[in-house]
Amino acid sequence: MIAGFRAIVDDVGGGLLFLGQMFSTALHYRPKSHVVFDQIWKVTLNSLSTTALAGFFVGAIMTVQFTLQVKEFGALGYLGGLATSGTIREVGPLLIAFMLSGKVGAFTSAELGTMRVTEQIDAVRCLGANPFQEIILPRYIAIILSSFFLLAVGLFMSIAGGLLLGVVFSGITAEEYLRHIPTIVTLPSIVSGLFKCLVFALVLASICTYKGFTTTGGAKGVGRAVVATAVATMVGLVIADFVTTLIAEAILSMAMQA
Amino acid sequence: MASALIEFRNVAFSFGDEPLLRDVSFQIQKGEAFSLIGPSGQGKSVVMKLMAGLLTPTAGEVLIDGRSLVTLRGKDREQLLCRMGMLFQKNALFDSLTVGENVAFPLREVRQAPEAEITEAIQFYLEAVGILHAKDLFPDEISGGMQKRLGIARALALKPEIVLYDDPTAGLDPITSRKIIQLIIDLRQEYGSTVVAITNDMNRAYQLGGRIAMVVDGGVIVTGDHDQTLAHPDPRVRQFIRGQLEGPLAGSGTVTT
Repeated sequence: MIAGFRAIVDDVGGGLLFLGQMFSTALHYRPKSHVVFDQIWKVTLNSLSTTALAGFFVGAIMTVQFTLQVKEFGALGYLGGLATSGTIREVGPLLIAFMLSGKVGAFTSAELGTMRVTEQIDAVRCLGANPFQEIILPRYIAIILSSFFLLAVGLFMSIAGGLLLGVVFSGITAEEYLRHIPTIVTLPSIVSGLFKCLVFALVLASICTYKGFTTTGGAKGVGRAVVATAVATMVGLVIADFVTTLIAEAILSMAMQA
Repeated sequence: MASALIEFRNVAFSFGDEPLLRDVSFQIQKGEAFSLIGPSGQGKSVVMKLMAGLLTPTAGEVLIDGRSLVTLRGKDREQLLCRMGMLFQKNALFDSLTVGENVAFPLREVRQAPEAEITEAIQFYLEAVGILHAKDLFPDEISGGMQKRLGIARALALKPEIVLYDDPTAGLDPITSRKIIQLIIDLRQEYGSTVVAITNDMNRAYQLGGRIAMVVDGGVIVTGDHDQTLAHPDPRVRQFIRGQLEGPLAGSGTVTT
């Protein structure tokens, strides 16, 4: 029990030191822009279709669920607003981040882990280059930027999915579906959704680069790193979701009063 | 005596609580060809990684050209590391880059050399190690001997003053081994660099021609040149170079790192 707790504290501490080292590198060295763009291109292209698909179905699910609830009250007119608001503020960012953790997170930690155990990271250092500048920082920046972008695409697709199911499943017109979206989905809820996207991207990128970079012990070690990344990312995302919900609520209620 | 190019001063190193090296001191002069021998698991690779700054000693100092790798930080440290090239035991080639790009990496990323110069350097170094025809292949598409050659070409690409070879002939047949060592000797003569090589094969250590040192029981015993090594009084050295089963050394040790 105590040993387990210690291991968690060790892990978090190691992660924070890693992030500290990365940010101090970012201050002193400019990340190579061609590597960053390469990575952004790779990450975005690799995950675009799955994220769009996931987003579409998240929107669809929300619409179906809300239909079952609001039908009894004869409030189908609010269906579009409710489903879209729920998707943008909560379910969309979380589910899409889960998707990305499976794709981008696992890929990055396996790639970095393999580079570590085959001494490629040592080789970079030995050649007088900085592994943080050459390998970690470009991936980190790329994951943040493209996750953010992918999450935004996913949210957009979720609206499309919701709209389609609204018409097909709930039997309302597109116009009815869209009518109450602007009244329920206000600017603060969009901002809080995007804020969540950003926080989730940070969590995702930090965990997979840290776990990959600190891999030890051959093929088994890479396996362990990928599993640890998946678990830590899931837990991290849920906790981050809780915290950002509290923050977003506070911001929303402040905006209401103003 | 002029100050040494590589100097270990009372270096100790341990993995966790397990001490591996204790109070190691020796010097390597500029232009030397220095071989490290010794049973597996005694820390040859660790000694080399301490030289390359990849590991930090738990006590003592590693000096390269009079400057301590232990205390040096940031860009100064990277500049010092640029003066060294290293061939890793398992080559550590960048498997996402082609053979040519592996050689180009340090020039492109560290020196930011113009593309024309990089193309020329790729041509030159791959030709020097005899694998120019494999320029556009990936490291996992070429043979083990070719991977070694590529590792050597990449280690040399920044024209380092010090070249560290971690077991350059591991897993290669006797003829290829001999060729690789000859290549190392030729390249050393051409560039006047200082060479440190790990090997388990006494013949290769003799072929390299310089001083020999044995890493054993947490220490480094500098045994001297070919004749001095053969006549060395330490029973562990005598047993090792003759490959005898009977003696103070107890077979192969733990796994090397």
